[in-house]
Amino acid sequence: MKHLKQFAFSQRSIMVVLVCTSLLMGAAIIGQAYYFVAVIEGVFLKKLSFDAVIPLLVGLFAVLVLRAALTYISGRSGVKLASRAKISFRTALLNKFAKNPVQASMQGQSGRKISILMDASDDVDSYFSSYIPQMIQTAIVPLLILAAVFYHHIYSGLIMLITAPFIPFFMALIGVMTKKKSEEQLEKLAAFSGRFLDTLQGLTTLKLFGRARKQRELIEESSLGFRDATMEVLKVAFVSSLMLEFISMLSIGLIAMEIAIRLVVYESISFFSAFFILILAPEFYQFLKDAGSAFHAGRGSVVAAQKVTDELEKDPHQVEWGNRPLTITSSPPEIELDESVFRYKQEGFALGPISTSIAPYSQTAIVGRTGSGKSTLLHLIAGLTAPQEGEVKVAGQSLFKYEEEEWFNQLSYISQHPYLFSGTIAENISIGANGAAREEIIRAAEKAGIAGFIQTLKNGYDTPIGEAGRGLSGGEKQRIALARAFLKRPSIILFDEPTTGLDLQTERILQQSLQELSRSSTVITVAHRLHTIQAADQILLLEEGQLIGKGTHEELIHSVPYYQDMVSVQQGGEKQ
Amino acid sequence: MKDLATVVKLVVLERKDIFLSVFFGYLAGIAAVGLFASSGYLISRAALIPPLYALTVLIAILKLFGFTRAISRYAERYFSHRATFSILSHLRVSFYKKLEPLAPQIFQKYRSGDLLSRIVGDVESLQNFFLRVYYPPIVLVVVFLSTIVFTTFYSAALAVVLLAGLLLTGFVVPVLFAVRQKRINTQVREQRGILSTEAAELLYGYRDLKIYQKVREKEDQLLLASNDYVYEQEKEGLHSTLSHSMNTMVSLIVSWFVLGVGAWLVAEGDLNGIFLAMLVMISLTVFENATPMAVFPVHLEDSRHASKRLFSVVREDIGKEPDSPVKLPIDQAPSVLFSGVNFTFPGESKAAISDVSLHVAQGKKTAIVGASGSGKSTLLQLLLKIHPYVNGEIALGGVNLEDVEQEDLWARSNVVLQENHFFYGSIRDNLAIAAEGEADEVLVDALHKVKLSHFSLEDEVLERGENLSGGEKQRLALARAMLKGERLWLLDEPTSSVDALTEQALYEELFDQAEEDTLILVSHRLAGLERMDQIIVMDHGEVVEAGTYGELMRHQGYFYEMKQIEKSVFL
Repeated sequence: MKHLKQFAFSQRSIMVVLVCTSLLMGAAIIGQAYYFVAVIEGVFLKKLSFDAVIPLLVGLFAVLVLRAALTYISGRSGVKLASRAKISFRTALLNKFAKNPVQASMQGQSGRKISILMDASDDVDSYFSSYIPQMIQTAIVPLLILAAVFYHHIYSGLIMLITAPFIPFFMALIGVMTKKKSEEQLEKLAAFSGRFLDTLQGLTTLKLFGRARKQRELIEESSLGFRDATMEVLKVAFVSSLMLEFISMLSIGLIAMEIAIRLVVYESISFFSAFFILILAPEFYQFLKDAGSAFHAGRGSVVAAQKVTDELEKDPHQVEWGNRPLTITSSPPEIELDESVFRYKQEGFALGPISTSIAPYSQTAIVGRTGSGKSTLLHLIAGLTAPQEGEVKVAGQSLFKYEEEEWFNQLSYISQHPYLFSGTIAENISIGANGAAREEIIRAAEKAGIAGFIQTLKNGYDTPIGEAGRGLSGGEKQRIALARAFLKRPSIILFDEPTTGLDLQTERILQQSLQELSRSSTVITVAHRLHTIQAADQILLLEEGQLIGKGTHEELIHSVPYYQDMVSVQQGGEKQ
Repeated sequence: MKDLATVVKLVVLERKDIFLSVFFGYLAGIAAVGLFASSGYLISRAALIPPLYALTVLIAILKLFGFTRAISRYAERYFSHRATFSILSHLRVSFYKKLEPLAPQIFQKYRSGDLLSRIVGDVESLQNFFLRVYYPPIVLVVVFLSTIVFTTFYSAALAVVLLAGLLLTGFVVPVLFAVRQKRINTQVREQRGILSTEAAELLYGYRDLKIYQKVREKEDQLLLASNDYVYEQEKEGLHSTLSHSMNTMVSLIVSWFVLGVGAWLVAEGDLNGIFLAMLVMISLTVFENATPMAVFPVHLEDSRHASKRLFSVVREDIGKEPDSPVKLPIDQAPSVLFSGVNFTFPGESKAAISDVSLHVAQGKKTAIVGASGSGKSTLLQLLLKIHPYVNGEIALGGVNLEDVEQEDLWARSNVVLQENHFFYGSIRDNLAIAAEGEADEVLVDALHKVKLSHFSLEDEVLERGENLSGGEKQRLALARAMLKGERLWLLDEPTSSVDALTEQALYEELFDQAEEDTLILVSHRLAGLERMDQIIVMDHGEVVEAGTYGELMRHQGYFYEMKQIEKSVFL
């Protein structure tokens, strides 16, 4: 709520426009009543000729047009305000998402983040487009009307003054009474439509078990049951608006009776004043009632804004880069981990402290069970996350002193599930090497063993792939990622070795390619293959985030019992 | 529009509530007119100083109108919402009825679950159809006509002005805005689609974007997409504000005409001045009923779009069922025969299955292995008649699959697919779909067999089995298949998320129970296949090898090499 209000008041010019339109709106409403009454009084009581009331009619026309125009201006300002708010919220979110360390984006919450970016940002709309303009009007217009009524007839003004607070009071009272119940019901509504979705998604299963017909009856039954439950809650809401209606009606009736009696019995009020008040009274109560519905619309926005704010305040830990150039002369730089520690905020999982050094052209295998921190270590080395303690050093300097671009230009990262961007195959391969010639791209594709496949496609290298394009199999994606590396020729390669599921051809290509690439670079692999591990110059053995062994296969098998166990279980398991 | 007609048919099922909504809507509208008319009359009478009793009567009438209006409004809301929820229920059932025969083929076409959630959203959004599109115009017209008839008693000219006002606010202005609304809506949806695709790229491709230093570029693109989207939304917002303001202006100007014409008539002596205030008040009030017409175009367009999308999905053409189906024999393990089977996914040029022939004898066990994407699951799906339009012949127990009804085929087989659905409810509910009316002991025994003894039948299962691990889901699906007790087993990677040790135990149970049955197992793991009568090796949609485990290992071909790689996989 605070954020929304702050944002609204920071938009000074729009707020000024809204206040001015409200003031004019009040004036227009009073003017409208004045002219209506004046014309009627003129021809009815004063028996004026039609010509005599023409100026009044012209005035009235102007006021009516003004009122419609003000409605538009106020609505327009609200829409503009909402647009600015949505852009501002979304920009903040995007900034946040773009700066997140990789770890945050790997926590499998991408779906939720997209929903916040799309839906929650949209849901703040009604706060600005209807709540704020309505609230400003409600704060100003009834006061002006009240002043006009007081000016004409103090007693009617007093009745209004006394009865008016009942409306917000009852609104608040009913709101408090029904809030919990209606929120519960909203939750149920979401759950219910979720269940319908559940049934649709499970239709295959239902049909396989011959249960699809029966489910139809259940859908109907539960829909109707849900309807009855919802009606109970809606009834409360409708009764509350009935109460408000009664209050405003009784108040108007009271005013009408009072002025009628004064008009007839005491003759202490003129027809003009009486009629004028009678026209203004309903407008007065209408503005108060409208605030209620606007408030309701605003409440959804508050919930949405809270989601956005929560997301923005989450995990402020960011990776900051320096501006030092990373000059690669002849060989890849040495990489060093110096007591590096990385901790997840919530789960309590910690990686490290880890100290080790990775020599140029060497091959390092990271080994450990699922959840032992292998990927996190790879991200740490890649500079995709920063250690909370200790340092990652490259060529003797802290990694984050270098310019980001300088470092990533040296790096290729081949994951188990490489991401394909929407674009053509050629664009996807050349993503790391801007402006690469077509011949170079084709050569890289040949080396990655995917050129043959690409040639079978109708549009060849210009075939669109990714989100909006053709789907590729896991093996094909791996080979695209390899082609990227061949084109880029990095000095450091980070490789997350696939477990299973690849076809033999891709398996072979992966091995050959890695061998060829390793001739010109340092390779760090999260390893799953025994031969990769055996061929490594250095194995980093992880268990629950701790580095429990370091050395070659031969060294570890003799010195680390845990490693020995793993190897023998792996081989023994196969013998069974 | 045709789709909207389907919705209308479902709407009119709720005749009684529709009638009550319209009736009370009318009563509320007309009472409001009456209330303000009588107050206008009251004040004019009072100005002429009538006897006090006349005033008392008028004030009583005023109160009566007031109460009628408030209570009718309440009743209108109540009945219209009740009708809306009943209609939603009809919509769900009707849509389900239409979707049901199309499953599961339709899910093959729309692979993302996104489509389904959009459908559910569309159904929900159609709640506005009755509430904002269907009945408000009826109420509007009836209230106006009554008012106009009442007005003719005083002045025909004023009645004509009101009629013109009705046409303008009720039809001309909404129709004018509805046309533009349609175009703007399309643009908003397009921009939203672009933004959400870009956002998905940023989040799912974040690591790769970061390494290739494209994050900044993507962020800029996203900001641009977001601005475009907001700009289109703004256009929509301004458009609807304009539509609302125009409606207000027209109704105010009509009242101005009423006043002007009325004043002229009074001045000319054609109308008693005492009625002028009343007539003006009527005009100002009756147009309150036209306010909902301002949002009419928006909701009409929404409803039209939602119904179109909803029913276009179920109008899909899917393979047709045999004219004279052959019933599969009950309690008899069938043989399975594929001869020269080819299959290509619609819209793709490369065949997913090419020229596959294989035979599984009655009561034999066959495994299909291969890399992901090699076509092994597709083969199983063809046998389940999940994909229509197959080239070549598939036969089950000597009966051509084309002559078998889907429903009959599924009733005779125990199936575990890669994606198995679990419903909100208990473990018991989820098992019972395979074994209705079975005693608890049978269900508990099935849980025990799949090593899920730690579950009780009362344990809660959330939607899509969200609270179960991948392995638990697979074991529960296997338990379901075991409970079904048919003689043909079709299993697609039933244990891929289960650890090797448990997998072996599950296979034991499975082979025990299926000893006399025909069984086809798709597996990406090669361990534990020694007991199969036959192993079929697939690569790129073709059968590259077939034989027993021993034969394939001796042959040292594709299977042997896969086995070597699997052996070398460490953790």
